[in-house]
Amino acid sequence: MEMDTSAPTDLTENLRKHQGTDGGFGPRADLPSEPEPTALAALALPSPAAGAAVTWLVARARPDGSFGLSLGSVDNDSATPIAALALPAGLARDRALDHIESAKAEATGEDPSVPHDARTKGWSWTRATFGWTEPTGRALLALRVLRPDSAAIADGLATLADRQCADGGWNYGNPVVLGTELPGFAQTTAAALLGLQGADAAIVEPGLAALRRLWREEHQGGLSLAMATAALRLHHDPDAREAEVALQQLAATDGLLGDTVSLAWAAIATGPALERLVVSR
Amino acid sequence: MDRRAFLARSAGFGVAIGAAGLAGTRLLSQSGRPEPWNPSAFRPRGTARVALLGARTYDDGLEQIVRDGLRLIGANVGRARVLLKPNLVEFDAGTSINTDPRLIAATVLALRRAGASEVVVAEGSGHRRDMQYVVARSGLLEALQAVDAPFVDLNADGIGAHRLQSRYTELGQVWLPRAVTDADIVISMPKMKTHHWAGVTLSLKNCFGCMPGRVYGWPKNALHWAGLEGAIVDVAAAVRPDYAIVDGIVGMEGNGPISGTPVTSGVLVFGDDPVATDVVAARVMGFDPAKIAYLSEAARFLGQGDLERIVTEGEDPERMITDYAVLDRFLPLKA
Repeated sequence: MEMDTSAPTDLTENLRKHQGTDGGFGPRADLPSEPEPTALAALALPSPAAGAAVTWLVARARPDGSFGLSLGSVDNDSATPIAALALPAGLARDRALDHIESAKAEATGEDPSVPHDARTKGWSWTRATFGWTEPTGRALLALRVLRPDSAAIADGLATLADRQCADGGWNYGNPVVLGTELPGFAQTTAAALLGLQGADAAIVEPGLAALRRLWREEHQGGLSLAMATAALRLHHDPDAREAEVALQQLAATDGLLGDTVSLAWAAIATGPALERLVVSR
Repeated sequence: MDRRAFLARSAGFGVAIGAAGLAGTRLLSQSGRPEPWNPSAFRPRGTARVALLGARTYDDGLEQIVRDGLRLIGANVGRARVLLKPNLVEFDAGTSINTDPRLIAATVLALRRAGASEVVVAEGSGHRRDMQYVVARSGLLEALQAVDAPFVDLNADGIGAHRLQSRYTELGQVWLPRAVTDADIVISMPKMKTHHWAGVTLSLKNCFGCMPGRVYGWPKNALHWAGLEGAIVDVAAAVRPDYAIVDGIVGMEGNGPISGTPVTSGVLVFGDDPVATDVVAARVMGFDPAKIAYLSEAARFLGQGDLERIVTEGEDPERMITDYAVLDRFLPLKA
């Protein structure tokens, strides 16, 4: 695919300012480094900033290969797919991918209040809980990019197909709760479409149609606009350029409020790092 | 029914909430074991003050109404750093999900007038990860700019680990945002809504928004997975709001907290005790608070649930009742 060769300088420069002295990135510039913003920044930035972020990540890989935040009984390992995408080929990346394959969400069984195909699992935010759209989309993306023969991919595709809303987009989770159809959101629709590159057109085309509507409705949100731009560009959608311009305007206006995750997604969406999220067809 | 009659009913309610407390114990904890909270961490439950003030719209006189409400409950915010925690779980222009931005802005002004040294508005949206979108689209950004008040995204704030002092779940510890732990005073400011899993969502359930999504996810499913009602008690006991202001000018009935129907109640409920505030607010919604398991359980240690020990000011609660429609599964919770 054809892409610009450089991300807008202001986005990458703003993001680089968030890097801590330890090489990692926090959710904001003044906060301690954490796995998810560090992994996204490592993807978004060129060397040497990316190298320091990767070094930070590798040092924080957990014994099971995952990356995340843990306290008490709650273990959020949802940064693992982003970390896998950011890491160079090698043991740490392989172990992260092994973890993604082994740490699926918990199935809940049939429940008429939240109808879904109970055979599907997807991926959860926190270990051993229910599967949701964004963690499923990112796990599916990492496997399809880095381990395209993984047996876990089929479940990811089936989960997102099952969770698609009637309007074509994706809500954060189930499309129907207690008989009410829920709407798609731009950010979660983009998260799903990132993982669905080249997938069944019967799923993808309504999803893209929804995203073309949603990014315009939700253009005031930096994260929504950034992830929507990434998804539209990866799907070669004709709306991509317009969304990118809107994103750059928003970033120029308010700096995406200094949110590292939003800034990193914006830099990825508008720069060469997007190449690293391409699913080979 | 006048206030005397209301208070007479309170006696029965006091008994009922005791019984429901026992029922809650069966629901939320296991008999034969120590009480699921650390008694040294929670002060004895004293008399609580709750004020109900009528407000038909969001357009006029809200600052004065809030000032009156704060005065009636004896709120002391002088020289305090106040964190105001509204409910902005997501945005839908067609319904009434969120605490109204006009009320939030009016409360900022009222708190400043009452002597607060700093007022910060903070929320960690439960469903939408893009807080920038929710704040902008809901009108909160514009409302806060008009009163020059800062907003903190609790999903992206600095966090610290805190050991729970209650044990209704296996969570053990929780991450709490610095904005919450650094505040001198926390005011929980929910929308008056039904909740399709918990019956009602008021100032205790609103504390879920203090739990950072980057740990607990969107929605904060780890808390639901831990046991929703127990998690409501544990999280509220960790956040421990000092005051509550419930936005019942327009609430939500039916399939709340997202997909319900707007309902005009025309009331604001203020309290110096979030448990007492929720007990009275649930009653105003037409519920029997004693039948809401998490509320009756919280009344055992976290706040006052006995209406005989809740001093009500302002409007007569019984005259303010709007019978909120509920899903069939919650019909047994109605008074």
